[in-house]
Amino acid sequence: MATDGGAYSYSLTVFSPSGKLVQIEHALAAVAGGTTSLGIKASNGIVIATEKKTSSILIDDSMLDKVCVICPNIGIVYSGMGPDFRVLVAKARKSAQAYWKIYGEYPPTRVLTQEIATVMQQATQSGGVRPYGVSLLVAGWDVNRGPSLYQVDPSGSYWAWKASAIGKNMVNAKTFLEKRYNDDISLEDAIHTALLTLKEGFEGQMTEKTIEIGVVTVPTPTEIDAERMAGPNDRPKPTFRKLSEEEVRDYLAL
Amino acid sequence: MNPMNTAAQPQQRQFNPYTENGGTILAIAGVDFSVIAGDTRQSEGYNIQTRYAPKVFRLTDRAVLAVNGFAADGNMFVKKVKQRLEWYRHAHAKDMPLHAIARLIQTMLYGRRFFPYYVYNILGGIEDDGSGAVYSFDPVGSYERETCRAAGAAQSLVQPFLDNQIYFKNQQPAPGTAHPAHLPLPHVLSLVIDSFTGATERHIEVGDGLEIYVVLAKGRDLSGLEGFAGLQEVSSRSDGERIFVIRRELKKD
Amino acid sequence: MSIMEYNGGSVIAMVGKGCVAIGSDLRLGNQALTVATNFEKVFPVTDRIYLGMSGLATDVATLREQFRFRVNMYQIKEERDIEPEAFAHLVSSTLYERRFGPYFIEPVIGGLWKTQGGEYKPYIAAADLIGCLNFAKDFVVAGTASEKLFGVAEGLWEPDLEPEDLFETISQTLMNGVDRDAYSGWGAIIHIVTPDKVVTRTLKGRMD
Repeated sequence: MATDGGAYSYSLTVFSPSGKLVQIEHALAAVAGGTTSLGIKASNGIVIATEKKTSSILIDDSMLDKVCVICPNIGIVYSGMGPDFRVLVAKARKSAQAYWKIYGEYPPTRVLTQEIATVMQQATQSGGVRPYGVSLLVAGWDVNRGPSLYQVDPSGSYWAWKASAIGKNMVNAKTFLEKRYNDDISLEDAIHTALLTLKEGFEGQMTEKTIEIGVVTVPTPTEIDAERMAGPNDRPKPTFRKLSEEEVRDYLAL
Repeated sequence: MNPMNTAAQPQQRQFNPYTENGGTILAIAGVDFSVIAGDTRQSEGYNIQTRYAPKVFRLTDRAVLAVNGFAADGNMFVKKVKQRLEWYRHAHAKDMPLHAIARLIQTMLYGRRFFPYYVYNILGGIEDDGSGAVYSFDPVGSYERETCRAAGAAQSLVQPFLDNQIYFKNQQPAPGTAHPAHLPLPHVLSLVIDSFTGATERHIEVGDGLEIYVVLAKGRDLSGLEGFAGLQEVSSRSDGERIFVIRRELKKD
Repeated sequence: MSIMEYNGGSVIAMVGKGCVAIGSDLRLGNQALTVATNFEKVFPVTDRIYLGMSGLATDVATLREQFRFRVNMYQIKEERDIEPEAFAHLVSSTLYERRFGPYFIEPVIGGLWKTQGGEYKPYIAAADLIGCLNFAKDFVVAGTASEKLFGVAEGLWEPDLEPEDLFETISQTLMNGVDRDAYSGWGAIIHIVTPDKVVTRTLKGRMD
């Protein structure tokens, strides 16, 4: 018998008398225990960053990915349970490719976010499953809405942010971001703000091995038009990319 | 078939004496001239046999015949027509008039009603009254005098274009005016060239080279022809009707 | 007897200077018998995209509704109008879904797309019945008169035609093309799509 939720904590399809689905609350607790991740929308792009913590120095953390590319224009980062994230990444990538197969272009950030949110919501209403133990930050660029940053929670709800943080220290991090944020911050400044924010709650040494950064860059109007005129054999030019360890080291050095 | 199976199955074998060799021909009549053109590609299926096989032939100083379809039949047919015209010259000491050549061709084609020459013929030239004329035939000799006609592989591409540009189909003349019944020579030549470049672009059996024969009525000046790229005179005398040929390149892909 | 020629009909689209034109004939037949003379084969998709379909009439009607459904769903989901290129791919993938039991239609798409500079550029495309796309820069044709349309268009079309001249060019091409095709004709309808308006004209033609 669960100690807090009582009988209502077993089946997630049953509301508690207070109107809560307690399994979702537990999932949020799992997120709040996860490493901090954050995202900042700048005037000319977006940065998403996270802290990468391993339980042993023997783990080869170069093989670990916490910031993931979904398609050339969208990347995501998470706080919470790693395995759940991997499943969502696989589903998101599949969804992006399915969209490409139909429309010959990759999905706008909002549409992909909705797809992920739908998957996560379904896990709160289906029998025999538990909610995903992650919150996500989705950063992407598309012609229609430009750069956009979304957060998705285990309940399946999502919002657009100018800057947000998830995971451990999220409250502090958000307060920090609120103080630092302004609408015309440049991407370079945003990357530094991101690192500074992570530093606030960081345990141990911040190095290129323990930090992962992904950035969205906004293409110029000429590049956008060129992209649309490109032939079927031309690969799309990515607008989302992960920073290499060298690049992260350079940012940390500054 | 199993060689051990001695019970004979009925078998049918067939020899098909015809081939379709592609290409397109076209003729347009003016008031006092006639233009007869054809491409020079000869193909069998997707295979190009030669990039220069003439389909347009000078019969007399005022008659040009274009043949399209089965090349072997076409060549033999032209040979036989030329032979008949030679006999006519021996018997009558003059060239056969154009309308008579047309009737002769009908007779010759219909003579093979039950083993036809697999060719579409277009005869162009100058009538006795000095007018430009075009006669078109089906393989068994049905014929008609017209102002213009396309035949062959790209007939369906070229003929509606000619309907529009020569007969002014679907066009309304400006109030108080009428469409001309015949067009000037330079205009006709540019339409012929446009027709063939268009057909070359969209039809795989058309291309390589273009031969345009121009027959001018007796006494008509060269206006519109002088200085034309690729022009060559092939008349046998200079005091009668005159024949010219223009050879042009077409795309070879 | 080919299913593609069962009902007859032809469509065409052409690129102009900052505009596109798309049109079809109006005949609906049952083989050699003419059944209707007001059967349009071009349909609006958005304010700036038109879709033409030639082929089996029942499939033309079915796919018109199918595309209406899919485009509406797209617009609700994405909160925006579909762009010509994405629509062309939607058409292609919809047809390829039925790769081994195809809809017997050949689509033709004409539309305008907006560049980052705010100017509109013409876009045309066509596909075969299983969705193999053909992005042409000049003109695309489909239907029982397609060969004739290719021939006339190749002779009449030229680059950078203004809307009025483009209308004349596409009209002459279509009318003279279908007049040499027994399965197409009985008048035509033409849509000229420009950035600020669409002009639709119905043309009378030979009735044979």
